[in-house]
Amino acid sequence: MLFNSLDFALFLPVIFILYWFVTNKHLRLQNSLIVLSSYVFYGWWDYRFLALILFSTIVDFLIGRLLNRSENQKHRKQLLLISILVNIGLLGFFKYYNFFVDNFVEAFSFFGSEISPSSLNIILPVGISFYTFQTLSYTIDVYRRKIEPTHDFIQFAAFVSFFPQLVAGPIERAANLLPQFKVPRMFNSELALSGFYLIVWGLFKKVVVADNCAFFVNQIFDNPSGYSSAELFLGAVLFGFQIYGDFSGYSDIAIGTARLFGFNLMTNFSFPYLTRDIAEFWRRWHISLSTWFRDYIYIPLGGSRGKKFVQIRNVFIVFLVSGFWHGANWTFIIWGAIHALLFLPLFVFKANRNHVNTTRIELIHWPKILLTFFLVTIAWIFFRADTLSMAWSYLSHIFDFSDGSLGLFYKTSKSMLFTMIIVLSIIVMMLFEYFTVQKEQKEVKLNRLTSLLVILLIIFMGVFKNPSDFIYFQF
Amino acid sequence: MKGFLKKTALIVFGALLLATLISYGSLYFLRKSSFYKPSFLVNAVKDSKFDYIILGASTGLTTLDTKTIDKLTNLKGINLSMDDTALASHYLMLQHFLAQGRTTKSVVLAPGISAFNATNEGISDNDYRFMMFVNEPWVYNYYKEQKGYEANVMQYSKYIPFAGVSYFNAELFYPSLLSAIQPNKRNRFDDSGNYTYPVIQNRKSKVSKIKPYIVEFKSQYFEKIKTLCGKMGVDLICYISPTEDMNVETSTSDYFFIINHSQLIRDPNLFYDKSHVNSIGREVTSEAFAQELIKIINK
Repeated sequence: MLFNSLDFALFLPVIFILYWFVTNKHLRLQNSLIVLSSYVFYGWWDYRFLALILFSTIVDFLIGRLLNRSENQKHRKQLLLISILVNIGLLGFFKYYNFFVDNFVEAFSFFGSEISPSSLNIILPVGISFYTFQTLSYTIDVYRRKIEPTHDFIQFAAFVSFFPQLVAGPIERAANLLPQFKVPRMFNSELALSGFYLIVWGLFKKVVVADNCAFFVNQIFDNPSGYSSAELFLGAVLFGFQIYGDFSGYSDIAIGTARLFGFNLMTNFSFPYLTRDIAEFWRRWHISLSTWFRDYIYIPLGGSRGKKFVQIRNVFIVFLVSGFWHGANWTFIIWGAIHALLFLPLFVFKANRNHVNTTRIELIHWPKILLTFFLVTIAWIFFRADTLSMAWSYLSHIFDFSDGSLGLFYKTSKSMLFTMIIVLSIIVMMLFEYFTVQKEQKEVKLNRLTSLLVILLIIFMGVFKNPSDFIYFQF
Repeated sequence: MKGFLKKTALIVFGALLLATLISYGSLYFLRKSSFYKPSFLVNAVKDSKFDYIILGASTGLTTLDTKTIDKLTNLKGINLSMDDTALASHYLMLQHFLAQGRTTKSVVLAPGISAFNATNEGISDNDYRFMMFVNEPWVYNYYKEQKGYEANVMQYSKYIPFAGVSYFNAELFYPSLLSAIQPNKRNRFDDSGNYTYPVIQNRKSKVSKIKPYIVEFKSQYFEKIKTLCGKMGVDLICYISPTEDMNVETSTSDYFFIINHSQLIRDPNLFYDKSHVNSIGREVTSEAFAQELIKIINK
């Protein structure tokens, strides 16, 4: 079920009413409703893959309990290994099987041997990269004795499948989300209202900013050779806004929806296009994934301890894995590598924490903000391109400066209209974000009037005919 | 909880109320404009008696120039074709035309060739252009009898106008802003409803083989148009426009006339693409059509 669908617009109020007016007196019943509604929400897309979520839930629930009981370190390590193998195994099979088979075959043919590949027609289950990481964090934290395992299966199933963040995050930690399922929820008007405002803001980013940008982005990336250098560059810029509007919009709707049910989810985006260097960008882009990698890969690898070479290796590994997490394609790995290369100079010269104290922007920061945005935009080309060679030819065509024409954006009345809508919506979004950053607030705060205006913008500027899927559903 | 529900209800219903008012305004300005053919017919066409009207898709719109035809035949015609539409939409346009109290001696039906044989007809891409008249029974009933999400959106716009205006915002909302300022502005057609494709210099045909195609008039909407024409005592003329890659043959009928120009033009320089002629091709075709039309009318 998509957040920007009529189905969800009907589903949400029904679940809200059942949750607060029917099951509110019994915690277990409320949690059961969350599990049931989450399975309906997910099954709406493809009910066959519910078995995967259930399997992952059962395995990690049992392992969590066994980990808690056992004092034998060797036994505990084996249990953790089983959890990692099951979760990464599921992810590996559904997401990476064909990638490895294809690359294996290519490697063999390079050495002159021909082997016939047996690629499978595997459908990638929506959200698998998100919920497997969430359940993994649970078993790892139980193993590390950072959290107590739950003994209530319904609570755990609700934690794994919680529908607002099931398919595209934020990837919650058990330490933050699980305890919220253990305590009775009292309706908090202020929290719910802030959730409502966040849903409205997220819908604006998705339906107005991202989906309108997709109009040009898809045309350009489907046939990059047909466009001028300037059009290609703007295509990359618009993709930057598309993916930001799409993914951060989804996160806002997820966080807002969770608040309607009395839950607090972690912030996933904190105005990443108003950051002054790549390090700051990564502290404020897809925060739940970045911190996951920090806690479960970077720090176990040694983090910033040890020799400089080891530290650099650790940074590189995290960025490459982060790229690979996004998809089974070399384009994502190179995207991660580019970010590693952009981050490392700051890291080596200990400048990666220059902007941790304040988000407030001074006039002097703008060149840095624009440079960071430019670098991020260039990297997005690899993220969006279908193949490495396409990304490379796209990039080289931008920098041959052969043609400065921008005809695509005003040639027809339709393209002129889309250009106007996109420019206006990006200005609205960035102005809201700018003033929020200046107030050092964590999220855009709408009020009655602004939310009403934003709803009107959604109605009259949003894309409802042929809307795009959420980009992160494919990851 | 009460406070939350009150506040959110106020915002949501306030926004929906405003959206409804804006949408009413939007449809009002479109209804009073000449932007799309249905309102052009109502507001900008002064004559009520015609010798012929052309109903069709992009082929009808760009192949037959009523101004040329009228000059050669001394007849009075109007082109009511709309691109990306099918026989169902042409049936709706005919009903819309008749509902204005207008009359015609002949209806020239010029859809895309495959439309005559279509058995699985649904809503067309540009049927939203009738939405400003959704309160009229012929438009509402048409949307109602169509299947699918878009048809539902258009149908329910009678009661929730922002549903349609929002869904088709690029096609309805923004043009309505233009229509409010320039009510006489037309969306790519002249004051007789014609449009032409430009000449592409040194165009080379990509067609290597001309395929045979048989038109059997199986469409249920063709039957409906035929019946309506019969009821009104109007001649029905089926027009097959020039194509580069098809040699169209038709099953004959005593109940309507057929003008088959599928092989009239062979010069690729007179085509814009394989199924549409350019402005020079339109001139040639319209002249040939005029001769055929006058024969039919004088019969």
